[in-house]
Amino acid sequence: MQLTSNNQLAKGTKKVANINTALAAATCALLGTSPVVQAEENVWEMDTALLYYGETDRVTAVEGVFSAKKDFGDEHIFSGKFVLDTLTGASATGAVSQPNAQTFTRPSGKGQYEIQGGELPLDDTFRDTRLQLEAQWTQPLWDNMRGSTGVHFSKEYDYLSIAINGSLAKDFNQKNTTVSAGLSLAFDTIDPEGGRPVAFSEMVIDEGQFADEQDYQAAFDATRQKDSDDKSTVDLMFGVTQIINRRMLVQFNYGLSTSDGYHTDPFKVLSVIDDQGLTKSLVYEERPTERTRHSFYWQTKYALDKGVADISYRYATDDWDINSHTIDSRLRFNLTDNTYIQPHFRYYQQGAAEFYQPFLLEGSTLPTFASADYRLGEMTAYTVGLKYGMKMPSGNEWAFRLEYYQQDPKNAGFDAPGALQQLDLYPSLKAVIAQVSYSF
Amino acid sequence: MSVSDFTIEQQNDHIIGRFAAMASPCELLVETQDPLLANHLTSLAYLEAKRIEQKFSRYLSDNLMSTINKSEGTPIAIDNEVFRLLEFAETCFQLSAGMFDITSGVLRQAWKFDGSDNLPAPKVVEALMPFIGWGKVKYDQTSITLDKGMELDFGGIGKEYAVDCVAKVCAEYATTTSVVVNFGGDIQVTRPRQNKQPWLIGIESPEDDNGSTKVLKIVSGGLATSGDARRYLLKDGKRYSHILNPETGYPIENAARSVSVAAPYCIQAGLLATLALLQGANAEAFLQEQGVKFWCYR
Repeated sequence: MQLTSNNQLAKGTKKVANINTALAAATCALLGTSPVVQAEENVWEMDTALLYYGETDRVTAVEGVFSAKKDFGDEHIFSGKFVLDTLTGASATGAVSQPNAQTFTRPSGKGQYEIQGGELPLDDTFRDTRLQLEAQWTQPLWDNMRGSTGVHFSKEYDYLSIAINGSLAKDFNQKNTTVSAGLSLAFDTIDPEGGRPVAFSEMVIDEGQFADEQDYQAAFDATRQKDSDDKSTVDLMFGVTQIINRRMLVQFNYGLSTSDGYHTDPFKVLSVIDDQGLTKSLVYEERPTERTRHSFYWQTKYALDKGVADISYRYATDDWDINSHTIDSRLRFNLTDNTYIQPHFRYYQQGAAEFYQPFLLEGSTLPTFASADYRLGEMTAYTVGLKYGMKMPSGNEWAFRLEYYQQDPKNAGFDAPGALQQLDLYPSLKAVIAQVSYSF
Repeated sequence: MSVSDFTIEQQNDHIIGRFAAMASPCELLVETQDPLLANHLTSLAYLEAKRIEQKFSRYLSDNLMSTINKSEGTPIAIDNEVFRLLEFAETCFQLSAGMFDITSGVLRQAWKFDGSDNLPAPKVVEALMPFIGWGKVKYDQTSITLDKGMELDFGGIGKEYAVDCVAKVCAEYATTTSVVVNFGGDIQVTRPRQNKQPWLIGIESPEDDNGSTKVLKIVSGGLATSGDARRYLLKDGKRYSHILNPETGYPIENAARSVSVAAPYCIQAGLLATLALLQGANAEAFLQEQGVKFWCYR
């Protein structure tokens, strides 16, 4: 006896039609049930998005995202993501503004740029393309348990990051409570153009003091370490999700992240200032090689009659002394059955890292670590935005998002000597975010 | 209903309820540790199966089917359930271009598929043909009129329909409990198990006659088998399947011996399996086109 199956398509001589859809409808009419969505098992859910991020006078980023998800049946789910972004524009170097023009050597050592008096020094050669790939597999295991594992790959011109992750989630209490634990291991390698600067080495600026190009190159090379460096990160996450009632869900997460290796930004410098507030030299920054971070996250979602309220708070603290608070809220209003608007408000506040200094004072003892990177300083930031989404008759969805972001760095208690008092050492950063996404 | 009409047996992670109905062994696999719940579901299942059997069986002499089949042109009052089944049969008739016809049961008077070489005389078959034809049946929401000599036979869909009805009763009573309804290999799962693991169900292997069983994995939806490898005629080396073509009155050529199909509902799976048998040599191509999981034995 012979068994034939889906894989062995018989040599059909007659054209046959698909009658299953009509039969499914007849079945539902007969049984008085609603149709079973059989498509679930076979259809890829695709999401595409194009995002524009533009800072006033600084960085512009354009990002394209393509993600796909498929349930291969019985909640065996694969998801993949492809991200490509390009960054262009100017980025703060860490140097302070000066009353007079300043000359900087580009990070590669090839060429210079000039910053006018009274302006914040920005390195305008900032340009990068980043490619990111992700794949994740999730499936039920045993006893109300789900397992998930994935890989992550990200590549920039001078940066490579590879990560793997795994997590387990278990449902209790008739799926009203879910407890989860996850682990992620990441390994990053950095190999910047022109090498990594030697800690606190002085930026070599060609102002005619070198006999020839080789002399300059030799002086520049003396400030550089040629080989690449790396960083490894271990993240642990524990979470509890509790369904409070038909409308409300609460989630609490604790995350522990430890990283070991090269944390320094090879493009950031500190100005060495005299007591008049004038820059005498520029030195490359140096950060600790270890960082341990704890984060506590709480989220509540509440289903309204015509929408969803989503409010979250995160507190993070680390051994660099950066403590931060984030409040994020989204309120979705369904305008019709197929359209919604979603206002968004986010507020962020952080304290400065213990080794953050806006500048170094000439003649003072050199610290072990120092950085003037505004991202490690004291600041507040907020985002306000609006998203509009609409579902097409085909079931595909368009969404449009427009947001405004402002970051306000603050003086973390440093006295500015002389000329610096007249200058804005902590200028605000303003950005516009626009996104179009399409799901099908 | 007496105590011995059904039995309950505790398994590792579920409870099995058993009874006999529709000339089949009937099983209910209930994912629970609560014998009271399993007992109650089994009794509900038993009552529902018996209700349908009583109403639609062609072997009983005092039921609605028998009244309709002996009506000789007199309109017979029908209820909504019968009307919905007639509508379903009408859809199947249309979708199969006349190959699925619940009036073709009269051919059983000529054909006895007992494994012998006793083919009916052509005259006998020919004499039955005027009594076949769904198009001659007149029905509406309240009544049906059948010409003299014609018969309705829900045998092709009755068991699958009963499986789905029983599954519906179970799903309504125990909304969060996964229950498998298995009437002699026609199966419906009410909802996936708590841990999403498949149900393992032993079914009689259609491949051989020695009663061996295969273990089938099913997570959700329905499964049904049509065809019976033991029912055939063999004459001059030619095998005649028991699948009859209502247009000729003769067995379908090159029909598969048995076809199993998985679909969201048992009755839907059953129909696809039956229509595949009616496709003869084209069964696999037909099922492939429907986008369902299937197993075809030839």
